[in-house]
Parts: sequence; C-alpha cells; structure tokens
Amino acid sequence: MYDTAVERNPKVLKTCRKYLHWTQRSVFQGELSAAQYRALMAALGTVIDPEYDSIVTYTARSPEMVESATLGVALGGPGDIL
Amino acid sequence: MLLPRLLLGRLMPAVGRTYWLTEPCRIRREDNSVRIERPDGSPVRIPITDIRDLVVFDHVDVNTSALSLLSRNGVTVHILDHYGNHAGHFSPAESMSSATVVRRQVEITADEEQRLAVARSLVLATAENLRWALDTDLLDSALEALKGALPECRSNDAIMGQEGNFRRTAWAVLDSRLPPWLRMNGRTRRPPTNAGNAFVSYLNALVYARVLTALRSTPLHPAIGFLHADTDRRRNTLALDLAEPFKPLFAERLLRRAASQKHLKESDFETDVGRASLSKDGRKKIAALVREELATTVHHRGLKRKVSYEELMHLEALKVVRFCLEGTPYKPFRPWW
Repeated sequence: MYDTAVERNPKVLKTCRKYLHWTQRSVFQGELSAAQYRALMAALGTVIDPEYDSIVTYTARSPEMVESATLGVALGGPGDIL
Repeated sequence: MLLPRLLLGRLMPAVGRTYWLTEPCRIRREDNSVRIERPDGSPVRIPITDIRDLVVFDHVDVNTSALSLLSRNGVTVHILDHYGNHAGHFSPAESMSSATVVRRQVEITADEEQRLAVARSLVLATAENLRWALDTDLLDSALEALKGALPECRSNDAIMGQEGNFRRTAWAVLDSRLPPWLRMNGRTRRPPTNAGNAFVSYLNALVYARVLTALRSTPLHPAIGFLHADTDRRRNTLALDLAEPFKPLFAERLLRRAASQKHLKESDFETDVGRASLSKDGRKKIAALVREELATTVHHRGLKRKVSYEELMHLEALKVVRFCLEGTPYKPFRPWW
C-alpha cells in the first residue's frame, strides 16, 4: 500500500499495476517471485520522493497463508476467470 | 539424470497464472500492462508479469500494440471457437530453440521402428489411463485385446485404428454411468451433437492448449510427432500425441465426476438439433473446474516434491527432450496415485 503525494500517485499506480492486482485505492496484492519483488521495489524507488512518500509491503511465505476478509464493496481483486 | 534446476526454473515460471476470458471483451495495452474491458463497463487491469497465458472462449478484440506487449512478456494466447475446438493461438517470438534437439527429434521420428514403438506406448498408456479414469474392470478384456493387437500393427493408421476400437468400448462403458441427457452415444465432433460430446470437445481442446504451452517452453518442434498422421500440414502432431495420455485424466474423468456430483445442469448447454455447445455459465463453470483440476498436486517420487497436473504436462515435454538428447526410453504418462 502506498501513501504518496498527489502529484506522484499516478506514477506509483502505473508501476504497481504491472506487477500486482489492484484491490483498493492505493492498495495492491499479488504473487511475486523474489526477482520480481526486487524489480518492483527498484522501480518504485525511482518514482517516489524518499523524503516525503511512504510505501509499505507485507510479504507472506505462501499464498495459502493469507486470509483476507472484506466488509462492504469488494472493489477489485486477483480473479482469473473474467 | 535430471535437468539442471536452472533450466526447470525457466520452463515453469514460479509465478504467472492462466487467465480465462469467458465473456466477450477487449484486450488493450495500458501503461505497459494489460487492461481487459468487459461489456458491463468495468475494466479489469491485469499485471503483465502475472500472466502465463490467456485462454479465450468468446469474442475478444485485441490490437497489435497489446499483442506486441504480450509477446515481449512471453504470454501465449489460446483461442477456442464456439464449440470448444482449438481455433488457433498466438505465441511469442521463439525464445527456446536448439538445433540439436530438433535434429534428433527429426531423426527419431523418421526412423520407423522408433516412431512406431513410441506410438504404441502412447496408445497403450492412453488406454490404461482411460481405464484408470473410469475406474472399472469392464474394460479389462478390451485392454487385453489391445495389448495383443498392438505389436502386430505395422503402421500408424493401424495403431490409431486399434485405439479407436478401444475408445469406442470405453465410451460405451462411460455412457452407462451418465444421466441420459449427458450421454455421448458415440463420439461426434465438429460440431458435437450432444452435451456429453460438447463437454469432451471442450476439455480436449483445453488439454491440447496446455500441452502446446508446455511444448513452447522446450526446443521441441510441435509439428514433428510419433502417432498422429503428419501428412496434413498445419497440425501440431507432437502436441496432439502428448495430449492423448492426459485426455482421460481431464475429459472422461471430469465428465464422470460432474455427472455424479450433479455439478453440470442441462441449462449449462445450448442444444440445437444435431449440435450442442456450452452456454455462458457453462463455460465459466468448466473454466473453474479445469483451473482447480490443473492446480491439483500429487507427490512425484522422482522429484521428491509435489507437482501440479499442469506441471505434469511440462515434465512430459521434458521427457521427450531427454529421449531426444540422451536416448532415455520415453515412457508416456501414467497416473501412479
């Protein structure tokens, strides 16, 4: 999830979209290999202003270990039957 | 000898999934990633790094800029027609190629003895798998007959004929366990005449597509095969060959299961006079069914780890590579569980 200045939001959004599924405003989730994770972090590092912006990532060992619950509208998520 | 881990890693992307496009939609490129536009207006954005391949069931628009992006990221797009036949595919510019493997593949398939030996073992494996999938002893005598007849066959046509005989017997046995509306009453294709045949056509096309994807990640040439006739141009003979032993695992087995669990309804099919196809909901159901099935894992004794059914097809392709390079006899896939 990212918390960045308004003028940099679109860039961060577009970078994340290449690697992850959009789940909520400013929140993404998905499965990445170690290399892809490093690539994503490097790409984000060039986009944000490290003095002002902040990005937090949560990593789980395996997709089976993640449980999520939604209240209200499910805005988006990693479905693969479209 | 097992292939070096590095090569295996390249063949099976650790991440990356198959996406099933079951509704009419439009594939567009956006910020170097993919946007799927659906008729109900809500676009879905898929991370390009997360796609291994796309399976398209319905009317889909795609443009060149999206295709070039897909190609750069090594995504294969499979297109199925209205009846679930494999209509074609778009695959990225060749990334795996090795002259040595292809040369050996041609040599082996050109040598009649070797080719027929592999063709026989493929047919036998398919028959055994079919019996395993139907879980019955009614096919024992047919299987014995097949085992007796195969060594006598001196040509591909004769081998295919024997397989046809066995399959007809097997389908009759399968029919006896299905509700009347799902019975096949003989295999019909292009178009399938009834719901059972439509289901089998769909599943076979999907298995073929998965095998083709697996072959694309090896240097093997998909058109140079062992069993199917390759006099016809425009056929991926090897993909058809390797799909054979897997078909019972998916098509016949899932048909039996869907019938016994009452998972499929008559409303999932659109039946006309003399033709049948899946309805929109039916397609979604089957996509979900197959996706779960492909993700099912079994413990592999040789690799000492769990492998998914999907990966079994990749391993099958690797077996053929090793047959070409090292001359290890190729034993077609049989379920060991």
